[in-house]
Amino acid sequence: MTAANSHKTGFRFKKDYYGYLFIAPFIIAFLLFGLYPVYNTFRLSFTNTTLMGGSGSFVGLQNYQRLFDTPQFMKAVSNTWLLWILNFIPQIGIALLLSVWFTSVRLRIRAVGIWRTVYYLPNLLMPAAIAALFFSLFSFFGPVNQALVRSGLIAEPVQWLQNQTVARGLVIFIQWWMWFGATIILIMAGMTSISVSLYESAMIDGADEWKMFRWITIPLLKPILIYVFVTSLVGGMQMFDIPFLLTDGRGSPSGSILTNNMLMYLKFSSSQGHIGAASAVGVVVFIMTTVIALGIFYFLREKN
Amino acid sequence: MKNSFRLLALLMMVAMVLAACPSQSAEPTAVPAAADATAAPAAAEATAAPAAAEATAAPAVADATEAPASGEKETLNVWSFTNEINTMAVAYEGKHPNVDIKYTMIPMTNGEYQTKLKAALGTSDAPDVVALEAAFVKQFVESDFLKDLGSLLPYAQEDQTYTFVTDVGTNDGVTKAYAYQATPGALFYRRSLAKEYFGTDDPAEIQALLSDFDKYTEAAAVVKEKSGGDTYMVASSGDFQNPFFANREQPWVVDDTLVVDPMVQKYVDTAKLFRDEGYEAQAQQWQEGWFAGMNDSLVDAAGTPKKVFSYFLPTWGLPYVLAPNAKSADGSSDTSGDWGVITGPLPYQWGGTWLGVIDGTPKADLATDFVRFATLDQENLTNWATGVYTNDYLKAIDPNVASDQMQAPGDFVSSQVVVEKIIPDFDNSELSAFLAGQNSYAGFAEAAPSVNAKLMQGSDDAIQRAMNDPLNQYLNGEITEDQMWATWKENLAIDFPDLSTN
Repeated sequence: MTAANSHKTGFRFKKDYYGYLFIAPFIIAFLLFGLYPVYNTFRLSFTNTTLMGGSGSFVGLQNYQRLFDTPQFMKAVSNTWLLWILNFIPQIGIALLLSVWFTSVRLRIRAVGIWRTVYYLPNLLMPAAIAALFFSLFSFFGPVNQALVRSGLIAEPVQWLQNQTVARGLVIFIQWWMWFGATIILIMAGMTSISVSLYESAMIDGADEWKMFRWITIPLLKPILIYVFVTSLVGGMQMFDIPFLLTDGRGSPSGSILTNNMLMYLKFSSSQGHIGAASAVGVVVFIMTTVIALGIFYFLREKN
Repeated sequence: MKNSFRLLALLMMVAMVLAACPSQSAEPTAVPAAADATAAPAAAEATAAPAAAEATAAPAVADATEAPASGEKETLNVWSFTNEINTMAVAYEGKHPNVDIKYTMIPMTNGEYQTKLKAALGTSDAPDVVALEAAFVKQFVESDFLKDLGSLLPYAQEDQTYTFVTDVGTNDGVTKAYAYQATPGALFYRRSLAKEYFGTDDPAEIQALLSDFDKYTEAAAVVKEKSGGDTYMVASSGDFQNPFFANREQPWVVDDTLVVDPMVQKYVDTAKLFRDEGYEAQAQQWQEGWFAGMNDSLVDAAGTPKKVFSYFLPTWGLPYVLAPNAKSADGSSDTSGDWGVITGPLPYQWGGTWLGVIDGTPKADLATDFVRFATLDQENLTNWATGVYTNDYLKAIDPNVASDQMQAPGDFVSSQVVVEKIIPDFDNSELSAFLAGQNSYAGFAEAAPSVNAKLMQGSDDAIQRAMNDPLNQYLNGEITEDQMWATWKENLAIDFPDLSTN
């Protein structure tokens, strides 16, 4: 190795610095495409810049003040939390259960790979296609109404997507259905890396399934669980595509599926294009997610 | 070994960073490619050609790699929200073989087109020519992003372009956008059903029966009673939003304050009445059930066939919406020839597409000429309205044109001169057969001069969009009327933080 060393004259590159050279591309790319946009978002959030009016002027905390004054903001934040928590609990629960079954030495389920693939498949579908599918399934003249009315379960067709609980339930279901397969893959990878000898000795000591799960699997799976938790939180706080595409893109019915990012997009795509106000939403979501994620790391840290 | 791995990793990372660079600048990669390909002479020609002397040189070289034979083509970027204007683009290429129009279509279902356009303005990704729909054309005409096209006004005078069309494209005396359409609205009704319920299908008599919204509501009750509830007066109450809103006294915003005109209240009351009494099919505009009503294939959840008596549609609604959907997908029912058209309860106008040029584009002259051709060229407008632009016609110019790209006859154009010239063409046309002999073009020609656009503002689209959800919730009985108004006003704050809604 190498060109740099062969140059006896001029700039001489010490071997110790190679590390910096190797990480330089990442650092440069990060500064350019990662840090600068974050900085710019913070900067924009203190201005009244619009797309139609060009760069605006510094307005201090006005965007934040207006944001906290509007009822939609608290609605969006609480919706986002609700939609995320209600899809994350069954997601991690089902994923853990299926992973235990799939990796169980006693059950010895066959063709685990095929099951895992089948559960992962919904994740490969386009959110746009899934949202359009559920929109037409539950539309007034759609198949769900037809099936229910013709089988006599309900007398009159229902405007399903005008009902807040139904709309929220659909978003939660779709999010769960799309993501539990991905969680299974992560958790199974964690479980299979736990040494079988631990379970064998536990069995000799007379431990039952639950005890093995509680005292062997869970503690050794902790890093993976934290990872799943945090990535899902970050993704959940940025939930956008399904709730945006399922109804009118404004959180219909009655803003029940309006999420943080949809509110940000609404401000961005408003008739004047209020990117300053949209940035303020982004900054608040950023701070909220960061604080919670750091909190998770802190409370679930190794305590020894 | 380890070192060479590191080197490899480094190279890969560098490659990734380079690939991630947004401006994959066409020049550096395209130039060597052109040099070693057969296109080398063409590329050389392109740089030498005086027309391509300035900023256009680089794109011309890039073009040469795609189409080596026509290296001198000048490209024009046109953005729109339907594939309609692409027909004109191809026709323009037919007249100007040295022009290559790059046509980009972005749908506007939830406002994607407007958003993408706003984000591209002021960047190098901005197009040269933009199509602007009635709902948001004013936003752009009121902004500084469109070029002053006052130079085209003499053409508009010669064409006798309908005044409201030019008015919409004008702000503070500066005209920035022109339209090829004028879009007065009408009411289309089913003749066979009219005979059944009202004993006549004569347009004049039906118009007398439906001449205002009180009469329209009374007629809806008759339709419901005589059909035993199997025929709805209208597919969705959203259909008559435009007639009500077009007849307000005041625009939405006066002195930064929201104005809720009595007509808005009347619209909400009528919509609620239609929902509660079962006069509307509860379909959603532009969705399956709405289209199904046009060809009698509407079936309710229990499997009972339902019919729709009338549709509020403007000029373009006939050739673009009603006629293409009059036949059901399985071909079992066809309502062609069973339609009549009248002015309806209230005069209105709906939609329309304007064209403007982005200010500061290096291709301003070419872009302006394209707008002139598309909106003010009498020959083009005649061809457009009379069905000259068939798929074969377009394929002869550009063999790569999609097989459904064409313009059916019947779109109502903006030039009074052209309209009067071509009215007789529609006396015995397919469209008049569709309307059982009625010449809709003549009817629209009567209505067009009285349309005015004084109420139109840049904020209309956002204000009306924000109303849809609270209104639907109210119609469905989920919230009260007071909650509806409150939610709507709250929602407006997202779009208009400075708007007073008291």
